[in-house]
Amino acid sequence: MAGIRWGRVAGWAVLVVVMLVTLFPFYWMLRTSFSNTRALAAGAADLLPVDFTLGAYRRVLGLSSTAEAVAEGGSSGTVNFWLYLRNSIVVATVTTAGQVFFGALAAYAFARLRWPGRNAVFTLFVTALMVPPIFTTLPNFVLIKELGLLNTFLGIVLPHLLMTPFAVFFLRQFFLGINAGVEEAARIDGAGHVRTFFRIVLPMSRGPIATLAILTYITSWNDYFWPLLVGKAENVRVLTVALGIFRSQTPQGSPDWAGLMAATLFAALPIMVLFAVLGRRVIDSIGYTGVK
Amino acid sequence: MKRCLAVAGAAVLLLAGCGAQEEPQAADGPVTIDYWLWDTAQQPQYQACADAFHKANPNYTVKITQYGWDDYWNTLTTAFVSGTAPDVFVGHLSRYPELAAQSQIMPIDDQVTKDKVDLSIYQDGLADLWVAKDGKRYGLPKDFDTVAVIYNTEKLKDAGIKPEEMAELKWNPQDGGTYEKVIARLTVDKNGKRGDEPGFDKKNVAVYGLGLAGSGAGFGQTEWSQYTMSNGWQYGDKNPWPTKFNYADPTFKETIKWFISLIDKGYMPTMDIASSGVGQIDAYGAGKYAMVTEGSWNTKTYWNLKDVKSALAPTPIGPTGKRASLFNGLADNISATTDNPDAAWAWVKFLGSPACQEEIVAKEAIVFPAIKTATVKAQQAFKDAGIDVEPFTMHVEQGTTHLAPIAEHWADITATMTETMDAIFSFKADVNSLDQANATVNGYFG
Repeated sequence: MAGIRWGRVAGWAVLVVVMLVTLFPFYWMLRTSFSNTRALAAGAADLLPVDFTLGAYRRVLGLSSTAEAVAEGGSSGTVNFWLYLRNSIVVATVTTAGQVFFGALAAYAFARLRWPGRNAVFTLFVTALMVPPIFTTLPNFVLIKELGLLNTFLGIVLPHLLMTPFAVFFLRQFFLGINAGVEEAARIDGAGHVRTFFRIVLPMSRGPIATLAILTYITSWNDYFWPLLVGKAENVRVLTVALGIFRSQTPQGSPDWAGLMAATLFAALPIMVLFAVLGRRVIDSIGYTGVK
Repeated sequence: MKRCLAVAGAAVLLLAGCGAQEEPQAADGPVTIDYWLWDTAQQPQYQACADAFHKANPNYTVKITQYGWDDYWNTLTTAFVSGTAPDVFVGHLSRYPELAAQSQIMPIDDQVTKDKVDLSIYQDGLADLWVAKDGKRYGLPKDFDTVAVIYNTEKLKDAGIKPEEMAELKWNPQDGGTYEKVIARLTVDKNGKRGDEPGFDKKNVAVYGLGLAGSGAGFGQTEWSQYTMSNGWQYGDKNPWPTKFNYADPTFKETIKWFISLIDKGYMPTMDIASSGVGQIDAYGAGKYAMVTEGSWNTKTYWNLKDVKSALAPTPIGPTGKRASLFNGLADNISATTDNPDAAWAWVKFLGSPACQEEIVAKEAIVFPAIKTATVKAQQAFKDAGIDVEPFTMHVEQGTTHLAPIAEHWADITATMTETMDAIFSFKADVNSLDQANATVNGYFG
């Protein structure tokens, strides 16, 4: 007859509390998204949806008339979900592919090639990590405007398409850790730098590259300020910007909370799916490189 | 990194053949007119106007986009910068002078002359408000608005106040007069004690006698303008085109001091509650406010609230012995950057014509259209909907209206006054901080 293992009970209790604290905001979003915005003020503390309605989802997807929407405390604002989802995917995918590929090339050059001024340039790179993005926002905006690239996908992805200091720094650390013997063997077999990089180094760094790709993808997906500045037009509008615009398309005085929560849940779904599918793989892949 | 970008950008441009510029639409083909407004309650009626306009001009289609008032002007400014501004947008008396000075909007004098638009059909004085400092005309009036009190009839009855009493309320900055007495009476704490009863707990209020939308910044249109102006105060040395403002005036200070004393006494919600994300309309609809001061454009929204019955009362008579209300009106402005000035003008002219104002807008009973004959129709439509709008229109009949400030630098003034008034309403600053704010405001005028 074993006694109750108090340690285990306490552990579970802590876990349950942490889970509740983490998941409650999500529940609150769900509960609010099924409420009637007009009735929310009266039932601010209700745990269940106030005056249950699917109106918020109908508004977001543009299935309700302006009059219906206004009656529930909404507006004519809608989220053209599929179009903005496509735009978000285009921007995040192009940014990720470009940044990881060019970043890897640069990182390899810093890690393995000898060239004059290499260390000075690298110091400059690492220094660039310390520059807050807000400082480069305005010059970049003016540049993109002068190039006539406002409201184009190119304008949205350009600043991060070629590299970010973080990506280069991150991959260089991994390349430095690769056993030099492997590359030496490749060179003896007659492979040049290019071949060594593509055939040996890249396959060996699959883990860190996947990690970087996912981090970049999420960062790019969640980026708001830059796309807001250069890509407000409908045909290139990404989900984050669409949410911001939806929030501002509200009646005077009070946001359409229910509609906003419904739209936010929609926009967060793809990233949640990405995490569910790839999360574990990323964690597993870090720390394993060719030679033990 | 920036150079990197420039080189890359240039390379990409060479590849892309610079195809980012929009082709101007052919003048005789189908044209889409981008139109922005901020009021959701008015969107259906202007959509109806847009449909009628399209029917009359099959080549022209109007696409309406709505942004809430809080974001509207910032969104518009950034749109002008990034070249995505609408062709036509709803303008505001306080905002258009700046846009005109920056040549962001197009004067319409030539079109008005050419098409012989009759400006005498509008309520007296409305049309000339849209002539800027440069002597050019920038819009045709759409509507006008005034301020009144909207109260919850149920709560009035519970407090034992008669509707007749509401029509003759007086206020003064010393003790608030009969107006404050009514507000106190309508306030109820969590234990059911009223604001004028001993033992009233101002820390735990269930129903506030008077609602609050915000600090009102430098405008206070529906928050405090009806008190400051019935106390003999004016925004500036003259209107339109003031050269200095009077925010440091003792009359203004004492009025604001009295007004925020209502917060301190527990009769009016704190700034925290006012800016909590639940708007005044929703809080009133939830039964948390017994009365509010509101603009005529929101009337129908209040009547559409499911759980409360409302009635209108005029704003109180002040120390001057008169009531006061701001008199404001809107018009549509045409962006200087529009690709289709002809189509834009056609739409603006339609919006300013009886075909839109009298046939469509007036019948909706949301706002008072600017055209005299349409105003009468709208009053009737309000009556048919069971709303007696006399408290709004009496200001026009009795000449107690005051023009909304038409001034340059309004965006800067708003920024300065938002900060100062928010601090005063939150009791983080004294009313004497208005001295510094007023000096800053007057500094904008050189």
